[in-house]
Amino acid sequence: MSKISIRRRTLPGFGLSMGYSIVYLSLIVLIPIALLFIKATSLSFSDFWQTLTDDRVTASFQLTFLASFAAALVNAVFGTLIAWVLVRYSFSGKRLIDALVDLPFALPTAVAGIALTSIYAPNGWIGRFFEPLGIKIAFTQLGIIMALIFIGLPFVVRSVQPVLQDLDIQYEEAASTLGANSVQIFIKIIFPAIFPALLTGFALAFARALGEYGSVVFISGNMPMKTEIVPLLIITKLEQYDYAGAAAIATVMLLLSFVLLFLINFWQWKSAKKHKAV
Amino acid sequence: MSISINSVSKAFGLYPAVNNVSLTIPKGDFAALLGPSGSGKTTLLRLIAGLENPNQGRILFNGIDYTDKSVKERKVGFVFQQYALFKHMTIFENVAFGLKVRPRKSRPSKQQIHEKVFELLKLVQLENTAARYPAQLSGGQRQRIALARALAVEPEVLLLDEPFGALDAKVRQELRLWLRELHQKLNITTVFVTHDQEEALEMADTIVVMNHGQIEQIGSPEKVYNDPANSFVYSFLGRVNEFRGDSIPQELRLNEETAGYIRPHEIVLSRTALDTSSPSEVIHVHTVGSAVRVELKRLDTDDILEAELSTEKYRQIGPLIKGEMLYADFSRMVIFDDDRPNQAKVSNKIVTAL
Amino acid sequence: MYVKAAADKKGNLVPLMRKWVLILISLTFVGVFILVPLAAVFFEALKKGIELYFLSLTEPDAWSAIKLTLTIAAISVPLNTLFGVIAAWGIAKFEFKGKNILITLIDIPFAVSPVIAGLVFVLLFGSQGLLGPFLEAHNVKIIFAIPGIVLATIFVTFPFVVRELLPIMEEQGTEEEQAALTLGAGGWQIFWRVTLPNIKWGLLYGVILCNARAMGEFGAVSVVSGHIRGLTNTLPLHVEILYNEYNFTAAFASASLLALLALFTLLLKSIVEWKSIKKRH
Repeated sequence: MSKISIRRRTLPGFGLSMGYSIVYLSLIVLIPIALLFIKATSLSFSDFWQTLTDDRVTASFQLTFLASFAAALVNAVFGTLIAWVLVRYSFSGKRLIDALVDLPFALPTAVAGIALTSIYAPNGWIGRFFEPLGIKIAFTQLGIIMALIFIGLPFVVRSVQPVLQDLDIQYEEAASTLGANSVQIFIKIIFPAIFPALLTGFALAFARALGEYGSVVFISGNMPMKTEIVPLLIITKLEQYDYAGAAAIATVMLLLSFVLLFLINFWQWKSAKKHKAV
Repeated sequence: MSISINSVSKAFGLYPAVNNVSLTIPKGDFAALLGPSGSGKTTLLRLIAGLENPNQGRILFNGIDYTDKSVKERKVGFVFQQYALFKHMTIFENVAFGLKVRPRKSRPSKQQIHEKVFELLKLVQLENTAARYPAQLSGGQRQRIALARALAVEPEVLLLDEPFGALDAKVRQELRLWLRELHQKLNITTVFVTHDQEEALEMADTIVVMNHGQIEQIGSPEKVYNDPANSFVYSFLGRVNEFRGDSIPQELRLNEETAGYIRPHEIVLSRTALDTSSPSEVIHVHTVGSAVRVELKRLDTDDILEAELSTEKYRQIGPLIKGEMLYADFSRMVIFDDDRPNQAKVSNKIVTAL
Repeated sequence: MYVKAAADKKGNLVPLMRKWVLILISLTFVGVFILVPLAAVFFEALKKGIELYFLSLTEPDAWSAIKLTLTIAAISVPLNTLFGVIAAWGIAKFEFKGKNILITLIDIPFAVSPVIAGLVFVLLFGSQGLLGPFLEAHNVKIIFAIPGIVLATIFVTFPFVVRELLPIMEEQGTEEEQAALTLGAGGWQIFWRVTLPNIKWGLLYGVILCNARAMGEFGAVSVVSGHIRGLTNTLPLHVEILYNEYNFTAAFASASLLALLALFTLLLKSIVEWKSIKKRH
């Protein structure tokens, strides 16, 4: 019995690849992140708690959460619809639309930020239609949601689209031969099939919205207690040299992101496993 | 090159794919690893190639221990089930690959590579495909290119994993004959994996029957077919009727568990009763090539069984119709007293009627 | 007979109407949320004439921002590409325990807010940071200097290449590599001759995406750069400064360069997808 041959892998390069990957990952990502947690623990618990329960901080967390959630929800609905249209229908200009859906991935957030602000400002292309109705978009919470919708859209579309593509139309045909109408087919056949992907897309859009900074700062107006998002608050703390306070807020955000990341990867892994088993 | 496998085991996680297997394949042999899926035959082939490493045991080439040698050092030719042709290379580049990746000092010149590749393409009768890509070839052509590519490195052992698995029946038949001829011409020790008993019987010099990661029997095609070591080998190599309990003649029955086997062509049918025959009712008759298969129901035991007659014999008996009564003789039924596997080479057959 | 025909017609009409209503809603949504902002960038940039547009792009601060942005990308993209290829090889071609954990750890920069990405480096290298005193003693400046911007950019673009390559390499499996192995090829030969040609389009797309993000990153860079004009201002930061100074035309002119980069990225993505679909058939 040879110990060496048990350990050996047939394709070369595993040790080198893992060694390099783990070192690089540690240096760039893991160690800096770990330091953030350490920095946050330099605060005493009561200071930590006080930082987080400050009115301005709680208002900011509340805003960031609700706006991100609302934007992700809007994206879940319209993202699914767009994915459906892109997969099931053919019309001229479809490929262009398909390509443009990815624009928020590729467009620098600062550019998105100033562009959105200019169109939703009271005299902007879209803002001017809402101004007479008494609805202000830019420099309000509504503006923040608009920016977060822009940022999150591709996540839902790109999560749902491949699943719809793989969805065999036979199941729908079978359901319709059994007498189901199109609403029933959607609820009973299509929705359950795309639900895991939709959930992943929703969570991705939500996670991205929570941390989004560039596209929001321009349109939000940044008024404390009203339109100040958490990432901006962290920067404000930094500019006041309140490093520990910034670290405390960042730690909470980071933990939330990790939970979301874990959930997303778990769902993806689970649905991939299900896919494989079929 | 001869191959010796000494008590080799390989497990994937807790699943033992190959379990304490020993086997010797002499130089120049054409051996088939035959077994159902999950029997460990492909794993054994990959262990020989060095694509898997055994948890235990040694693998020897020409008596020299190669267990810890890398795939590269083993110089085996391996033909993958799905061929694994390089999609982005032309057929020429595919076949030339093994020569081009040699270290500079042992690498043949461009001219030599060119000659060698065309020599091989000629051997597999596909010279005109050199500039094409794998996607432009048919399944049978890809198969032959995969073989040419494996032969380019002048291996001393050729290993083929289900070489004809992905092909349709007609192409498969042609390639079997062709591969057999090729082996005779090149005389390289060749091992191939198959789950098709007909393929193994038709092509191989030696058949290694595997089941549950172990070897059930090793022998020539005649040996394993006519003198199977156990009930598994008997059942796997051909069509078979299985009987239990009262359906087995009294003198053969060892205990309640005993199973009796008889091949369809060994059942003798007649219109008149003999003292050993049982009355049976015809359920269905159909012709398969030169034989006629008759599905019957034994009236004494209610077993459903299949008998096979040559067309000549069928003509003698006369046309059979559904519901007709016949007498079937089962005196060539065999039993095996011990169904434990891993008793390769040792025949456990104790009683054979007739 | 007549009744049946009418029913057929109605049966065809409903799905057809549904189709066009859904398409219309989708187009409106994409139009309002994506096309209009994109058009606004170019409209605002060119509103005051082409001359002013080019003038605002050629003034020294803009020019140095462009150069810095290119420099940052030229350092961070190759590093992450190297990592991406090496890590994808290890993860896709081998089975090992903890694979899912490793993939999740690699994903961290996607999940972390860019502001926090900047913050961690300030906490590490800033004057009040862990290594701050040490760096100051040796007169090394990382935060509010180029090294800090490079580090923050590497952090936020870290997973792009590896995430793009993983699914492609996993789908390809290891059979071709094994075949090369049986034909006597060594590790590097297998990689260069067999693996790389099979992943080149995905790799190109990963690099392009990584580059787009590296050149466009705002939040993380904003935290570590210190906004020193002509020195540590990248193009996105330059856009911000001009915008906050109400110099809208110049801000949008710089922004239009970044928008062109984004459009170029999308175009390349479409080409890559088209190539890989063509290859499959």
